Amino acid sequence: MSTTVIGGAPAKPRAPATPIDLLNNDTAKLYTHMHPILVLSLYAYQFPSIVADPVTGLTKTLIPLSILQVVYVALCLPPTGSGSGSASGQPEKRKPGEKKKVVPGKVESGINGKIIPAFLSLLLSTVVAAPLLTTTLVLFGAPITTHHAHTLLCGAHIAFLSIIPLVYVHGVDGATWREAVALLLPLDEVYGGMLGAVSGAWLGAIPIPLDW
Amino acid sequence: MQLLIVLKIPSHPVNGATRLKTVQMDNGEPEPSYEGIAAAFAKAKAEKEKQEAQGLKPTSVDAGKASRAGEVHFKAAHGIVIAFFTWILILHVLGIYLFTSGFLLTRLVLDHKSECAVPPIEGALSYSSGSPETGCWHPKTFEKAIIILVDALRYDFTVPFPADGSDETAHQFHNAIPVLYETAVNHPNNAFLLPFIADPPTTTLQRLKGLTTGTLPTFIDAGSNFAATAIDEDNLIAQLYNSSKRIVHLGDDTWHSLFPGYFEPNLTRPYDSFNVWDLHTVDNGVTDHLFPLMHSSNTSKWDVVIGHYLGVDHAGHRYGPDHPAMNAKLNQMDGIIRRMINQLDDSTLLVVMGDHGMDAKGDHGGESDDEIQAALWMYTKQKVFGRSSPDYITPPATAKDRPVAQIDLVPTLSLLLGMPVPFNNLGKPIEEAFIGAKGDGYQNLAIVNRLTAAQIHRYQHEYALARGIDESTRSSSLTLWTAAHAAWDLANGKAHAGHYQSVYSAFAAYQQETLSICRGLWARFDIPRMLNGVIILFSTLVVLGVYARGIEGDRTELTPALLIHGGIGTVLGSIAGFAITFALTSLPKEHVLVCAAALGGMIGVSSAFWYIRLRLISPFPTTIWGWMSVGFTLLLSIGFAANSFTIWEDEILLYFLCTFGVVAALSSFRQKAVADQALGCYHSVLFIILTRIASLSRLCREEQMPYCKSTYYASANSSTSAIWQLAIPYAIALLIPVFIQGYYQGTRSYQGSAVMWLNLALRFGLLLSAAFWTMDAADDGDWYPWLGETIKTSKIVVAQITFAIALAFGYSTFNWSKPLLSIENQATSSTSQHAHVAADGGRTSITIFGYANVHGSRYALLITVWYLAIALVQKPMGAGALAIATWQIFSLLEIIDTNKLSDSPIGPIVLGLLGSFHFFKTGHQATLASIQWETAFIPLRTIRYPWSPLLVILNHFGAHILCAVAVPAIVLWKQPPKKKGLLGDVAKAVGTHLLFYATVNLATTVWAGHLRRHLMLYRIFSPRFMVGGAALVIVDLFCIFIAVGGTRISFLSVAEVFGFPG
Repeated sequence: MSTTVIGGAPAKPRAPATPIDLLNNDTAKLYTHMHPILVLSLYAYQFPSIVADPVTGLTKTLIPLSILQVVYVALCLPPTGSGSGSASGQPEKRKPGEKKKVVPGKVESGINGKIIPAFLSLLLSTVVAAPLLTTTLVLFGAPITTHHAHTLLCGAHIAFLSIIPLVYVHGVDGATWREAVALLLPLDEVYGGMLGAVSGAWLGAIPIPLDW
Repeated sequence: MQLLIVLKIPSHPVNGATRLKTVQMDNGEPEPSYEGIAAAFAKAKAEKEKQEAQGLKPTSVDAGKASRAGEVHFKAAHGIVIAFFTWILILHVLGIYLFTSGFLLTRLVLDHKSECAVPPIEGALSYSSGSPETGCWHPKTFEKAIIILVDALRYDFTVPFPADGSDETAHQFHNAIPVLYETAVNHPNNAFLLPFIADPPTTTLQRLKGLTTGTLPTFIDAGSNFAATAIDEDNLIAQLYNSSKRIVHLGDDTWHSLFPGYFEPNLTRPYDSFNVWDLHTVDNGVTDHLFPLMHSSNTSKWDVVIGHYLGVDHAGHRYGPDHPAMNAKLNQMDGIIRRMINQLDDSTLLVVMGDHGMDAKGDHGGESDDEIQAALWMYTKQKVFGRSSPDYITPPATAKDRPVAQIDLVPTLSLLLGMPVPFNNLGKPIEEAFIGAKGDGYQNLAIVNRLTAAQIHRYQHEYALARGIDESTRSSSLTLWTAAHAAWDLANGKAHAGHYQSVYSAFAAYQQETLSICRGLWARFDIPRMLNGVIILFSTLVVLGVYARGIEGDRTELTPALLIHGGIGTVLGSIAGFAITFALTSLPKEHVLVCAAALGGMIGVSSAFWYIRLRLISPFPTTIWGWMSVGFTLLLSIGFAANSFTIWEDEILLYFLCTFGVVAALSSFRQKAVADQALGCYHSVLFIILTRIASLSRLCREEQMPYCKSTYYASANSSTSAIWQLAIPYAIALLIPVFIQGYYQGTRSYQGSAVMWLNLALRFGLLLSAAFWTMDAADDGDWYPWLGETIKTSKIVVAQITFAIALAFGYSTFNWSKPLLSIENQATSSTSQHAHVAADGGRTSITIFGYANVHGSRYALLITVWYLAIALVQKPMGAGALAIATWQIFSLLEIIDTNKLSDSPIGPIVLGLLGSFHFFKTGHQATLASIQWETAFIPLRTIRYPWSPLLVILNHFGAHILCAVAVPAIVLWKQPPKKKGLLGDVAKAVGTHLLFYATVNLATTVWAGHLRRHLMLYRIFSPRFMVGGAALVIVDLFCIFIAVGGTRISFLSVAEVFGFPG
């Protein structure tokens, strides 16, 4: 396990990351199953328009997708950190082991505890993750000089699908993110979702050359 | 990270120089002072393992003996590894040969000749078959003929552009040769112009065969363009010669290899056809000798003149069609044809035609529309030509309308000149030439078509007899034949044009049907051969797979057993096969022999695998890297079953390489050492970015249009580099040596010969090659006309010097260089954190720089040597791609090291992907047209065997070769000098690399065989199969003799200092 912590923090051994548990209430348990169906239905419903006019179709789909994702994280997932609105706060303070104990007590915290972190993760995904993923897409062979809107929208969709929940539960803790990148996080619903979205995007490129 | 190693030695009063000498001395008596150190080493039992890994040379007498024994052992083991891989190579060649011989189409050549006195059918109307003087089977129209072949005269060069109603802008090749169109429109009874469709392959040799014999080509001949052989089928030239016509030939010397001895020796002027950089010598030669022959005082000396102009073709190859040189060339042809028209006499027929077209870049060989659409123009002073409809006076606007086949020329010319139609002809007489000036001569048309059809019928009958073909295969054509006869009998005697028109169409229908039956028939594949070839390739793949991935421990220990069993099996198999060919003479000999040898080898090697079964492990991957290696290889191979994936292979490789880079970056985050994390991450990202930058160099194949933009040359219609591209090689010469030095400096290995080679020789060589391409551009563009020949000569000299630097000086450096080490003496205890204490005590320490990567740095010199040689033969853009490839190889070595993957298959597999990727980035595609033949003239003026083909190979497979040479570096980079089993690791890596190419080759072979009836067989699957097979054999050769061969040199050199691991 990595013993390195950036930001000049003392190099103390980190506890192994534990899987993220869902919020312990009925809404969360119900909605977590509904959410994938909703997201898939959204794409299924929009599919003809995405094929007909990718830029418009993808842009239109982006808004309902972001709402769905925000609702999902707010309803089902424990926000990062212990304090309210600390999504971008001081990650060093948080001890991953405490997370689960803190979360059940926070169910009622409402807007401050949930909606703001959810929107912050949406913002971060849009501002940081989407351009990063777009660059990756270009590196993987997306056109450099043309189809910028297509690529950017594709990057945004992947970012919304995979990054929003991850930012919501893990915040911006460098060490956790490095573990996430190194595929060292335990496979929970959030992390699995990200891996699934990324591998899906990878596999989705396979039919591109086909001419029928 | 072992950067360097520090030895602390007891405080012996030894000066630095002595110490240095002792450490590096080879088998000499050790210095007394050093004996003490050795003794101290011997006592330090606890340090023993460490000492071995650090590998200071054993100095006691026993150790010296052990080292000498080790050397003998190494040389033997090395030789056996080479022999084993050579055995694999032989099996690959046998498998590819067997498949190819069944796959590339073959046609039985009949020896029958048509005879003047024996028409295929009893006399047409009242004409009785006569002598060549009046016309053999049909009254002749012309006494003499001048046949001008303008190589690569595409049909759209000859018609006006833009066509009415189109607002496209004209290119350089448009409207430059209007004479053909003008005469056809203005004098329709004297001339006609038609699209002239070639049967692929569109290589000149194949076309000449079609244009003289009237038969369809088969693919097996496509490869013989370098060494043409005489035509022994019945053909027009032989018919003319046999009826004592005097034939004069001027131009392309391919004719002489096809028709040796047929031409008037004192009038004929052959010219070398292969110097595609020379636009004018052949053309001027033809013109200079043609016009004197047309003079009235000389016309009695000949009956047929064949002039073969090459300038248009060469302008296409060299510059592409959309270039002022092409415009000038076509204008020149226009002028020449006008002069010919003026000087032509009444009894002579003038034919101007192209043998094939050219693609958008000016190359040909394939079967795209642009390549097969040539032009045919006939002209005479007599008013004999006509059109069946007044609408047809204007030549077709595109080659899609009213085209004639190139084989149609054969019966047309034969009957016009009063010759018998060659026996194997399948073409039909061209309507315009026989319908008469009024356009109603259907009787004549019916007669000539009946004659030709009868000859086709006779030929088909003989062919069916000779081949034992069932009548049922041509029942449809026989029905048409009967129907045509019925129509003829009905019309005979009634001079009504309408009746003969139906007779004409009936015989034409028979000819069409027969032609299509023949196309199907000669597309007959020898399935048993193909199947056996595939089986050999598959079983070789299994053997190679087990050898590369399924053996535990050092495979050099087991290679002798495998080699001996496999070798003996092969020999016994060949003997058995030889015996079988005597016992069962009905079987094809070489087929049986090849199969028996391969089968014997397989049985032998299987017995060896049984013998070593305890050492066998599952060859299936266990890590994510192993799965990735298998995944990339298999996905690519499966993709070759679809034409889309084959077409877009370059993009797929980019995708895979980036995936590898990303996974490597992720994996770097998992490394324990911070330095490994940072370095691994940096090199992975670098690797991805370099891949993407290289991907900007593209040469699109026709099928990729319109989704691909070529950047390799100045424009999509050109085969010359843009001015800015000339700067690329200079930038490379400045930068690449610096980057490579960086990789050497990381382990302090940048010293000794490396300084001289990388900093001086490599850079100088790269500068020279940049200079070569500038001079070449200057020569192409005629920037300095007053320099003339000087620039041609000097660029060749520059190229030769570059080759000398790479292969002579470079190899000498590689051969005789000492390991890249230096030793420093420090008086005080080192404070370096990289210190490794070998012996305690003392105030003095020895620091060996370059120790940590002694194997890798020594071997990697070979990569740069081959890089220089290959970089010269690539166009400026390709040189850029190749420089990136080299850079990527070094960054891959670092990725492999920081992620500790030297044992994993991923390194050699990624090298395979990288080689295939840069194949595309150096301006190649899996098409015949993308072969850069002109490479042969970089250091030479004329074709010279074996150098010219070797140069073309070095250009075409340059990226594959570079990556193949780099394979051993994967397992040698940053390995301790005395690590045991390094040779086995090299064999493992090389085996894995070959596994990649063998899988791709097997896949392309299987798909080509399976899809043999696919519409895209010759456009896509067959060329990819040929590239796959050739790449496998070439990579085999380079891996065995250059890469594994090179490790012998570098191992021996390292062992001079460190001895052999005991």
